[in-house]
Amino acid sequence: MRGLRWHDTTENAKGDEEVTAKIRFFARFRELLGTDIMTDVAPGMMFTSLITTIVQKNPEGYAAIFDENDAFHEFVILMKNGKRVEIGDAAKTPVMDGDEIAVFPPVAGG
Amino acid sequence: MTLSQREQERYKRQIISFGEEGQERLKKAHIFIAGAGGLGSPVSLYLAVAGVGTITIVDMDVVDQTNLNRQILHFDRDIGRKKTASAEEKLQEINQDITVNAIDVKIDETNAADLVGGADGIVDAMDNYPTRYLLNDVAIVKEIPLFHGGIRGFYGQATTIIPGTTPCLKCIFPKAPPVEVFPVVGVTPGLIGMLQATEVLKYLLGIGELLTGRLFIWDGMQAKADEIRVERNPECEVCGGMIPQKTLKGMKK
Repeated sequence: MRGLRWHDTTENAKGDEEVTAKIRFFARFRELLGTDIMTDVAPGMMFTSLITTIVQKNPEGYAAIFDENDAFHEFVILMKNGKRVEIGDAAKTPVMDGDEIAVFPPVAGG
Repeated sequence: MTLSQREQERYKRQIISFGEEGQERLKKAHIFIAGAGGLGSPVSLYLAVAGVGTITIVDMDVVDQTNLNRQILHFDRDIGRKKTASAEEKLQEINQDITVNAIDVKIDETNAADLVGGADGIVDAMDNYPTRYLLNDVAIVKEIPLFHGGIRGFYGQATTIIPGTTPCLKCIFPKAPPVEVFPVVGVTPGLIGMLQATEVLKYLLGIGELLTGRLFIWDGMQAKADEIRVERNPECEVCGGMIPQKTLKGMKK
């Protein structure tokens, strides 16, 4: 699977500093965006910017996850390696090497 | 509570699995099912045939033709009837040895606790989060389990909430998603409903490992099941700081 490259053209793009993360979308988000996206991440990159970057090429997917102010919709659930990351903390939570990130909406039907 | 001869015959094949004592436990149990729709149909049918002694099922709707692709309690001839009337008839027909209370009412904050009454557990077969949160509140206050399920299209999710022990619904989903007319294929509530009904039986029988602290996620399109570990939110507005006060009688061997 082709990874998204970060800052390839900058001097910071040193191979030995790169980290890899896996992003998993569920339910409606998966329909729009696919899932199990492996991506290279620049060191120190935060959750919010990583997910924004992955999602922004897909306007419908973007609108499903982010509101018009580019903030996460309040119902979006973020998990890092099975532990919740509060939406309010996502912009200051760095992505670490090997992180598995889950992004999903509550499923409401019955 | 002893079993009649007819009951011993009816339940013979499952008594092999969990014994007459287990069957008696089911007989004296009372389960509250919120909703007689896509999830409520399979859950109530299978709990009825399993011999759960008392089933209360609540719904406010009338059967519509667009329900019939998934709400298998209701037939063509029921269109225009109250779902509760249709549900009571089918459940009583499929097992005359159980008691069915079908209540035609909208569950709201004024009646939720009274409706649940002395039930041993609540099955979440609702189609919206505001009512789910009410059921969650009642489960926490009464310290009875909430068997959560939700579906959309080919996707589904389920978890078993044990108050004070596992995260509650608000810990896992603090905010409701927007209301929508969601796609549903009947097989998905069928599958998730079976998971919920299995959890109810295990809980009442005190056997196996419950789906606690785990959110089960089903992707029918990929035929893949996932599990996400979920934890209590110590700051949760509903269950934060709660310590279980009661022994879970259902789980006592």
